[in-house]
Amino acid sequence: MPIHEKSLIRPEDLHTHDELVIDGVDVSGHWSTFIESRVVSDYNEALQDEIEALPGGEYIHRCWQCGSCTNSCTVNAINPDFNPRYWIYLIRMGMESELLRDKDIIWQCVSCNKCTYACPRDVFPEGVMKATAHWLERKGHTSTSPSTHFDTVFTEQIVATGKIEESRTIRRFFQRTKQSLMQDWMIEMVKKMVSGLPVGLLARMGLATLVAPKTKDWSRASAAIQEYIDEQHEKQGEALDLVKLARQTGDTKAA
Amino acid sequence: MTDKAEKYQRVAYYPGCALEGTGHAYNRSTKAVGKKLGLDLVEVDNWNCCGAMEVKNVDPKIQTYLSSRVMSIAANEMDMDVVMAPCNGCYHNLKKAEYDLTNDDQSVAVVDKLSKKAGHKTYESGQVETIHALDWIKDAIGEDGLRERVKNSLSGLKVANYYGCMYTRPRHIFPEKDQGNGSESTSKPHFMDDLLAAAGAENVDFPLKTACCGGAHTLSDSDTSTKLVLNILRAAKLSGADVIATECPTCHSGLEMHQIRAEKKFGEKVDVKILYFTQLLGMALGLKPRKVGVHENISKSMPLLKEKGIA
Repeated sequence: MPIHEKSLIRPEDLHTHDELVIDGVDVSGHWSTFIESRVVSDYNEALQDEIEALPGGEYIHRCWQCGSCTNSCTVNAINPDFNPRYWIYLIRMGMESELLRDKDIIWQCVSCNKCTYACPRDVFPEGVMKATAHWLERKGHTSTSPSTHFDTVFTEQIVATGKIEESRTIRRFFQRTKQSLMQDWMIEMVKKMVSGLPVGLLARMGLATLVAPKTKDWSRASAAIQEYIDEQHEKQGEALDLVKLARQTGDTKAA
Repeated sequence: MTDKAEKYQRVAYYPGCALEGTGHAYNRSTKAVGKKLGLDLVEVDNWNCCGAMEVKNVDPKIQTYLSSRVMSIAANEMDMDVVMAPCNGCYHNLKKAEYDLTNDDQSVAVVDKLSKKAGHKTYESGQVETIHALDWIKDAIGEDGLRERVKNSLSGLKVANYYGCMYTRPRHIFPEKDQGNGSESTSKPHFMDDLLAAAGAENVDFPLKTACCGGAHTLSDSDTSTKLVLNILRAAKLSGADVIATECPTCHSGLEMHQIRAEKKFGEKVDVKILYFTQLLGMALGLKPRKVGVHENISKSMPLLKEKGIA
């Protein structure tokens, strides 16, 4: 699979004038097609530091742009716009407005770690993708992605009980993302699942959905984990200057 | 008997959350195969979730702590020196925690702080060896040992062995792999191929052994996952496989779920059956299909198994 790159000339940067005279020469129509200049002036010098302050982004500075990540990428193979090498480049250059053009797909990294396997510089591009997706959310550039909703629902259950009971996690995820559980494929799957099962096993599974499995004596671990998560969240907020951002936008949630 | 074979006769068993839910058939068949082979599985007392693929996205060090607690119980409370995890997610996270606790002082400090607050001994790197169910059977019994014990050969069954992502990537957390001398390969894993071949199966040349099924986003980005699963199913079918053998509950349920979803959403039906490798091994060792939970699978493989004379 070759590396797919974006065309440098974007349709919105092409301008054609029906009537245009330059220096007395009529260049109306096709002959007046101009390409908007692509000089970037709005650099965010802090961008790389901010990504490095988030878990997974620590080693982005090591990248030497070989493109092994994009070349090996699972998601790139089905969506050529998904381009980790390019995003790492933009972050290192501080080209925030360019990065924001792809803000709605960065969270789609499936964490297969093919990039991490291929990277000759130990950048851990998978981690960089997660850090970037979180940066976009915490800076208010995107709303909470379905993936982050899932991670949150999942982690909340572990903090509370020490274990995951899958049907509970799935139900909460569908609730929080406001989707119906009654998808045709879901119904078909449950039908097939239930059809071969003996009554005893069904009863046991039903019970697990009512009474969540728990790790015993979990409360101290639970409190310690939650305290650590909150501490880190606050530290990252400081690194991202979210208090200042909240003051500017009048949005108290961002902090 | 080699040192490893002796060491793996009795191991701490960490089933993990998925094996008590959607991966129940994997749990059941792993235990049944262990019993049949005379290997002793001692479940880790009062275990917790390893953090799966999600907790690291909230905080990677919490994932390291969660995995370290499981290893701490095995080492300090049960006096075991090997933890066997059949789930790729659990196996991967315990390996990752082991790597971080060997190489990263910050992780050591955080795990120590959290373990003290939680009131248990801090796990120290090197206290246990974490292995996958594949390592367990491969080293404790081996291909020759399996061949001697096969009562019901899988001959005539064409199998595509699917390992997924977390069994081999990223490679630095698996220092024992890629070491030559029959060690596991991270680019072309073969332990499952070896075991099933010893049980008589005909392994097909399957190029997507370590492709991703999109398991991390199976519900949050279902269309992407369905497309990725379709690639795997199509490739298995084109390779001539009757069955995809799995060794991870997330991959297994992902393949089963998106096989149905692909038919409903994209109108594409790819008829290839999906079975855990422990189910296939169990039947080869003479266990009845029900004993290894074949009826619990969503992918209905009984007609095929009967046709091949296995069930």
